[in-house]
Amino acid sequence: MQHNKDPARATALKNEGNKLYQSGDFVGAESLYSKAIIADDANPALYTNRAMARLKLKLWDSAISDCQACLTLNLESMKANYYLAQANIELHNYEDALSAALRAHALCISQNDKSLPQVTSTVLRCKKENWEQKEKRRTRENQMLEDELLALMEREKEEMLETCDTEGLRDEVRGEWDDKASDLRRTFEQARQGDDKQRIVPDWMIDEISFNIFIDPVTTKTGKSYERASILEHLRRSPTDPLTREPLLPSDLRPNLALRQACEEFLKDNGWAADW
Amino acid sequence: MSGLGPKRLGKELTKIQNSLPPGITLVSADNLEEWFLDIQVLDQNPLYAGQTYRLKFKFSKSYPIEPPEVTFTKTDNRPIPMHPHIYSNGIICLDLLGSQGWSPVQNVESVCMSIQSMLTGNTKDERPPGDEEFVRGNRLRPRDIDFYYHDNTV
Repeated sequence: MQHNKDPARATALKNEGNKLYQSGDFVGAESLYSKAIIADDANPALYTNRAMARLKLKLWDSAISDCQACLTLNLESMKANYYLAQANIELHNYEDALSAALRAHALCISQNDKSLPQVTSTVLRCKKENWEQKEKRRTRENQMLEDELLALMEREKEEMLETCDTEGLRDEVRGEWDDKASDLRRTFEQARQGDDKQRIVPDWMIDEISFNIFIDPVTTKTGKSYERASILEHLRRSPTDPLTREPLLPSDLRPNLALRQACEEFLKDNGWAADW
Repeated sequence: MSGLGPKRLGKELTKIQNSLPPGITLVSADNLEEWFLDIQVLDQNPLYAGQTYRLKFKFSKSYPIEPPEVTFTKTDNRPIPMHPHIYSNGIICLDLLGSQGWSPVQNVESVCMSIQSMLTGNTKDERPPGDEEFVRGNRLRPRDIDFYYHDNTV
C-alpha cells in the first residue's frame, strides 16, 4: 500500500483539530482530523483522535472503523480499544465491547495510563450490559416456554374432554388439568422469584475505596485487596497503606488472581451485581 | 482527576439509608456535596447525656481520596459539644480528618463512629486552648489547619 507522507502538515492539522475539539466543535475537529489522515495515513494517533470526535458526534460505526484502522497500525493502542468499547456499548454489541474494554484495561496497566479508573468502570459497565441482555433474552424465552406449555395442556384437556361420556367425568378431567396448569404456573413463578432473591453482593467482592466490584484486585502486604485503579489513585496522593499508614509503593502491589477469578465467576451468574 | 466520588457517595448513601449504628441518624443528603447527620452519645457520660449534635459533611470531587470536611453545626436544639478538641465554631481537631490521617477506606459511617467515640471517652468539660482567639481569627478551611495535637490521650 502506498502511504501518503506529510507528517508535519498532518500534525499541524491535528493540533488545529484538537483546539476545535477542546472548544466543543466536534464537527470541525472531525473534518480536520480527516484532512490530517489524508496528509499522513500511517499515523495511528490520527485515527483515534477522529474516533474520539466521532464518538461525540454519535457516529458509532465510523468511530469503530477508525479504531480498527488504528489497531492495524498499532496493536497496542489503549485509546483505540477504549473507544472501540464505548462505540460497541452504544451499538449494544456488549460481547465485543467487553473484549475491547478488557484489552484497554490490560494496556492501561502495562502503559501506566492515567485513564485506568475510567477504563475500569467501562469494563464493569460492559459486564453489566452483557448480563442484562442475556437475562432479558432468558426471561423472554422462559415466558414463551410457559405460554407454550399451558397451550399444550389446554389442548390435551380438550381432547380428553371429548372422550368423556358423562358430565361427572368431564368435571373430573377439568379439575385435574386445572390443577396441573396452576402447578405449572406456580413452578415458573417460583423460579422467577428465585432470580430476584439472593441479590446480595458479598462484601469480599467490594473494593473499599470505590465501593465497586473488583475487576482487577491487588493485595498489599497486610493481605487486604483493593481495586488497582483505586489504590493507585490513593498512592498518587499518599504512598501509604490505607490500613496501617506504613509506606506503600505501586511496585509493592501484587495481583490477587484467585479473588479476580471468583469475582468474574460471580458476575457471570449475577450480572446485576456489576451495578451494585 | 478521580471520578470515584459520585458513585461511591451514591452507594454510601444507599447503605446508610438502610442502616446506621445506634446513635447515628441521617438528617439530609439532598446532593452529593453536603450531608447532615445527627449523633448522640449513648453511654451515661454526663457531658453529653440527652443531647443530640449535628454534623455537616462536605465532600470535594476527589472524595474518598481526599477527606471530607466534617464540622459540628449549631442550630436551636443542636449545640456544639464541649471537648478539648472541638472548637466552639464546630471545627473538629481529629487526625483522621486531616490530610495526613485520612485513608480512603474510611467512610461517612466510620467517621461518625470515630467522632462518637471521641465524645464517649472524654471527661473534660473544656474547649481547646486558645479557642476564642482561634474562632475569631481563623479563615482557613479545617483540613488546611495544621493542628497541634497537644494532647493525644484525649
